[in-house]
Amino acid sequence: MSNETKKILKEASDRANAAYLRRRITVDPITRLEGHGKIDIFLDEAGDVDRAYFQIPELRGFEKFAEGRPAEDMPQITSRICGVCPTAHHMAATKTLDDLYKVEPPPAGRKIRELVYSAFMAEDHALHFYFLGGPDFVVGPEAPAADRNILGVIAKVGEEAGRTVIAMRRRLREIISMVGGKVIHPVLGLPGGVAKRVTAEQQKEIAKTAADAVEFGKFTLQLFRDVVLAEKAYVDLIVSDAFTHETYYMGLVDEKNRPNFYDGRIRVVRPDGAEYVVFDSGDYLDYIAEHVEPWSYVKFCYLKPIGWQGFTDGAESGIFSVAPLARLNAASGMATPVAQEAFEEMFTTLGGGPVHHTLANHWARVVELIYAAERLKELADDPELIDPEVRVLPTETPREGVGVVEAPRGTLFHHYQTDERGVIEKANLIVATQNNSARIAMSVEKAAKGLISKGEVSDGILNKVEMAFRAYDPCHACATHSLPGSMPLLLQVRGSDGEIISTLQRDSDGSLHRQ
Amino acid sequence: MEASTGSSRTGNDRPVRVLCLGNDLVADDAFGLEVGRRLAERLGGAAGGESPDPAATVTFVEHPEIGTVEIVQTALYGLYLMDVVVGARRLLVVDTVVTGTEEPGSLLVLREKKVTTSPGGSPHYVGIFEALDLARKLGQPVPDDVVIVAVEAGDSLTIGGSMTEGVAAAVESAVDLVVALVSAAPFPG
Repeated sequence: MSNETKKILKEASDRANAAYLRRRITVDPITRLEGHGKIDIFLDEAGDVDRAYFQIPELRGFEKFAEGRPAEDMPQITSRICGVCPTAHHMAATKTLDDLYKVEPPPAGRKIRELVYSAFMAEDHALHFYFLGGPDFVVGPEAPAADRNILGVIAKVGEEAGRTVIAMRRRLREIISMVGGKVIHPVLGLPGGVAKRVTAEQQKEIAKTAADAVEFGKFTLQLFRDVVLAEKAYVDLIVSDAFTHETYYMGLVDEKNRPNFYDGRIRVVRPDGAEYVVFDSGDYLDYIAEHVEPWSYVKFCYLKPIGWQGFTDGAESGIFSVAPLARLNAASGMATPVAQEAFEEMFTTLGGGPVHHTLANHWARVVELIYAAERLKELADDPELIDPEVRVLPTETPREGVGVVEAPRGTLFHHYQTDERGVIEKANLIVATQNNSARIAMSVEKAAKGLISKGEVSDGILNKVEMAFRAYDPCHACATHSLPGSMPLLLQVRGSDGEIISTLQRDSDGSLHRQ
Repeated sequence: MEASTGSSRTGNDRPVRVLCLGNDLVADDAFGLEVGRRLAERLGGAAGGESPDPAATVTFVEHPEIGTVEIVQTALYGLYLMDVVVGARRLLVVDTVVTGTEEPGSLLVLREKKVTTSPGGSPHYVGIFEALDLARKLGQPVPDDVVIVAVEAGDSLTIGGSMTEGVAAAVESAVDLVVALVSAAPFPG
């Protein structure tokens, strides 16, 4: 290092040490966070739950932010806003550009995109199943709170399994960086194709990871059978009424009504399983509308032709659901063999489709993990993958485009209107969690009703509400960088006169306070 | 200068890593990345080299006494950070926080050991501490010496918003603080 640098370092140290003493710096554990979720419960005169409202901080200002930007920047920009599913936003934005410029990628371009996307779905589902959703069921529903965390999962499934998940995930992410580039956010999608081709060398490496991923998917399913399905208490919990809602279900399907995460038509089935509608992404505004409630920033999606009937179940209500369980409910089978077997096993065990038990999302996620791995392998073994023709250049004048993909958490829509130079005049995004927001609100209310009566608030309510909420695996970018990462919850119960009766707070360190 | 993730090296020559977390598109959430950028400028680091994750960039600096200092910038969070917390011998994290009890722009310094993680808390919103715990449990090389420098955010929800005044003003002090902490061995407190 040069003398100049040494000098700078020393001066900086001296300055900082002086500033350290002067400045108001706190050295303390965090005990109270304001970036929290909030549940407001209103009781009726009998002391039972009248209404429950669940709010979390939401990112805002996207539409305004997008105006005036070149649409071609959107695959990079939207992937940067959302820390949870950057690849999903990147892909939805890229497909929107295809539509905007009226170009179709050549076969290799499309296959490369779907390859990367399959790797992404597989690694995200793996992470979620083992480490995020896992504590809810792998450890067992009756397990003490102290064990219901990631370390409890490792204790149950074994360290070897834990290391396998991490290694598998790393290899899947290497596929993404190999094809998309090593930058903070992938550079992959362009209107009409992808940025670069895949070489024969790369294909060999990808094929190896893909084959291992299929085995890993099978291993995960067996683990699920051994550890979860074998435990009656958990199965009882899955099918219990508290976590059950009968809504419409939505997912992207191929021409044979099987889920395809990257492309297809949007299929919606009724609560009884009959097909309600199949539509193209461009027609989404005919079928999906957003309802606003005064108590929430989040807008609630519902099926437009059926209408908003309030937070209720059933075929008369326009509320629908997305994500793994909904995708499988909206399908009639899987496009790959091992996933198909797993699909049949799930529906047979749970009494046929559609399955209305929210906690079955965790099971559906395993089925999808297997499909993503098998699809990855199909594409990795495809000779056309390494074809050098990966892009068609756009020539049309842009005006309007819609792109849709299935993110891990559900159907994701991007929609841009531009001027003739491709500068955005109007942009709309419907993220997966918005599609689920009404059902999430119902689940929270149902849990509240089950655990509060005659004015008595059970301690277990926070956990039960959370379990329902977690099954949807909502994407909340608000949690992106708030230390320490666990979202504290504040629950307030008010009497029929609106006055606060009781407050329960769960801090980020897990401790519960009651007032 | 050798570029390395550190995982193949023995304890003493593993790098000190400054992990800058943030999202430069969301108001005060840009803080961590901005500190990383200014820190790299201040110390004259070289970009490039092996990154632990496709969603993270790394800048290297050779410090006369400390050895290799890696400045890692990423928008990843929680368990997605598992790959970026391993392989360093000391870890300093720069991030935003919302405590609601500090003025926006105030800097907080936390020792990992003193922040109780959530045995009974929500496993969904797992954060960096869970990532550290899990990585340790699985036998990954994770430093014992972890410190967090966090700024109290004013606005962490507006997409396209720039940093609020207090937070923007805290960047230089945060850089000073990081340099001081990196130079102290082990981390104080």
